[in-house]
Amino acid sequence: MDVIQALEEAISRKNVLSSEEECRPFECDGLSAYRQKPLAVALPEDIEQVKRVLRICKQYQVPVITRGSGTGLAGGTLPLQDGIVLGLSKLNKILKIDPLQRTALVQPGVRNIEVSQAVEEFGLYYAPDPSSQIACSIGGNVAENSGGVHCLKYGLTVHNVTMVKVLNMDGDEFVFDEKDDGIDLLALLNGSEGLLGVIVEIKIKLLPKPDAAQLVMAGFDSVSACADAVTAVLEQGIIPAGLEMMDKFSIKAAEEFARVGYPLDVEALLLCEVDGSHDQVQVDSKRVADILRDGGATTITISQNEKQRIALWQGRKNAFPAVGRFSPDYYCMDGTIPRKRLAYVLEEIEELSHKYGLKVANVFHAGDGNLHPLILYDANKPGELRETEKFGAEILKLCVDVGGTITGEHGVGVEKLDSMCHQYHGPELEIFHGIKEVFDDTGLLNPGKAVPTLHRCAEVGQMHVHNNQLPFPELERF
Amino acid sequence: MSMECQHQQPETAHLADQIKQAVADKKLLQIVGNQSKVPLYDDAEPISIADHSGIVDYEPAELVITVKAGTKLSELQAVLAERNQMLGFEPPEYGDSTIGGTYACALTGPSRPFRGALRDFVLGTKMIDGQGRHLQFGGKMIKNVAGYDVSRMMCGSKGSMALVTELSLKVLPLVEETTYCIEMPEGEAILLMNQMAGTSLPLSGCAYYQGRFYYRVAGEHPEQTNRVEVNACTNDIWKILNPFRPQLEPGVKLWRLDVESTNPAIEKTIAVGMGGTRRWIASEKKPKHPYTTLWQSRFAPRHNDTPQVQKIKQGLKKVFDPHHVFKDL
Repeated sequence: MDVIQALEEAISRKNVLSSEEECRPFECDGLSAYRQKPLAVALPEDIEQVKRVLRICKQYQVPVITRGSGTGLAGGTLPLQDGIVLGLSKLNKILKIDPLQRTALVQPGVRNIEVSQAVEEFGLYYAPDPSSQIACSIGGNVAENSGGVHCLKYGLTVHNVTMVKVLNMDGDEFVFDEKDDGIDLLALLNGSEGLLGVIVEIKIKLLPKPDAAQLVMAGFDSVSACADAVTAVLEQGIIPAGLEMMDKFSIKAAEEFARVGYPLDVEALLLCEVDGSHDQVQVDSKRVADILRDGGATTITISQNEKQRIALWQGRKNAFPAVGRFSPDYYCMDGTIPRKRLAYVLEEIEELSHKYGLKVANVFHAGDGNLHPLILYDANKPGELRETEKFGAEILKLCVDVGGTITGEHGVGVEKLDSMCHQYHGPELEIFHGIKEVFDDTGLLNPGKAVPTLHRCAEVGQMHVHNNQLPFPELERF
Repeated sequence: MSMECQHQQPETAHLADQIKQAVADKKLLQIVGNQSKVPLYDDAEPISIADHSGIVDYEPAELVITVKAGTKLSELQAVLAERNQMLGFEPPEYGDSTIGGTYACALTGPSRPFRGALRDFVLGTKMIDGQGRHLQFGGKMIKNVAGYDVSRMMCGSKGSMALVTELSLKVLPLVEETTYCIEMPEGEAILLMNQMAGTSLPLSGCAYYQGRFYYRVAGEHPEQTNRVEVNACTNDIWKILNPFRPQLEPGVKLWRLDVESTNPAIEKTIAVGMGGTRRWIASEKKPKHPYTTLWQSRFAPRHNDTPQVQKIKQGLKKVFDPHHVFKDL
């Protein structure tokens, strides 16, 4: 019996896909430039079946790549030729909602947005809101420690998860709870990219929905004036719920796409949302507007109602596809930088843009320093992809050099393995490999992802980042 | 304000040397700060972080501060207060407590259910492992998903894995807070604190002590006292509960229980904190509950991990401290 037959026997034939056509949808995730047909795809229906899959894979020494909705942008669930994709999309039940305790117990395949929809009747919601939230799964969110536009005020996934139940390759269950004593293994599991265990149950925090929200939109003559104004808002003790910045190219693209009334004669646009009680929002939005005006804003618009607030967000939320209309392909970066270095970093990116002859649009989560430069290129032009990769690598190196990081929210996956060599050195990487071995001494859980080998780093010597082309074009990208 | 420290490594080189020497001499080291929490044990030699103190870098507008681990909480809080900011996790003050010791013991105050635990504010760390190697994890960024989150994992390690020398923390704007209280039975208070936490009232504390339900709110809310049963009171209650050091009868022990916020009233409870998730029990016998810590021997471990989780923790200990030079606490 081979591994596929063993799986079919264990979890029934209908839950195992192995033909060319059946496997095709699983051969890549959101980083579609990388594709690989897996040996087979296992789609278990419950935890018992997941355990069986793991035990069989251990017995046959077959790698396991756990996958949620496949929306990841770093190739974290790229299959291996000799590996099984363990798809958890059928574990999609919300097991329990406790409105009084403000928690929900969910299976990993539950989509992010589903949770907020299910608890809306109680006036609650699940705060982390990655832009792919209509499709991405909670299990995947935990694996990537996903962010969203509201991170600065409401935290990342790691701040909103209170328990995970995890399986190892033996199918043994582990529960990591915020109430545990000693080292924080719950925190470690968040963002571990499927290398330490298979997450099969998650308890998450639910927050009360704010009574009101208001958006202040401000245009500036320069990027640095806009960044300084953000600084002033934060220094005044206001933590906005959303704080988004766009450069001139992004503004133009978004306005042409969404027609929401963005000013076109400015160099930078800031969208600042405050939320809370009605009174507080009134006070805060006026304060924000005053601070931004003092900071040199040339235009200021305060949303007067929900309709206008949502409309003004539409431009920003559609910035990626809007920019995408200007080019056959674009490549989305995910560096993080101290905000005080933003003007410098954007100048450097502008210079690199001239050097490579490739246009760049920049959108920026201004509150937490997460920069998403979008490099425009044409994959059909010989050599342009390679140039884009080099350009991207230089941007990530720049982010690290100014004190930032190579990935704020997309993860390392396969995409940023070489960039990891720039961010971390030998001893830290050794520690990472040591941690992996403690949880997975078989080395079969998502091998080769997230942490580069020391050998690879020695060989690379410098960074090398590959092309990214977004599938799911219908999803909003922040 | 920005105080860059360019010479971190030489400053802690002697600590790395002490660790390497202890490994060579097969000695056990106990990491200490100002010894405000954990006593010195006879079987270990102290290695102190107390002198490694001071602010390394502070960017109020980035909401990030980087401090050396031996920095006193009081000093750190004073520096933040000057810029109208604060630590979001409201750490307990045991007397000259250091930020390193507070992190090692994972100590968070009453605001935890509303603003998050200490580990939620940790962005990056520098540390020296059990081989005397200088390591650096995370950074100064609020968002960073490169590599395993060692900086958060190490929170609560009580000095058993590595000597943490520097921490980068997210900080929050300082807020003025008002406390209100209502006399009521414990069970009703537990229900009410859960109900309130589901509203948009900007809560930062909910507790029950000596027959009164206390709640703390950011800003002033005069409408709260429109109800006859509600009284405005001072913020002192949060100091009484954080750290909680009640006088007990001889033979009676203090137990710290971590429970779900909606857990019904538990027998012999003398205080309910953290929105219902923390219960303090005064009893001779250990309460039957999975997350119970004997708090008189403060910071004693619970030893209630399953054998499999124990194996993971022991394995991780070996990754950071292969020669077992750091004492387990």
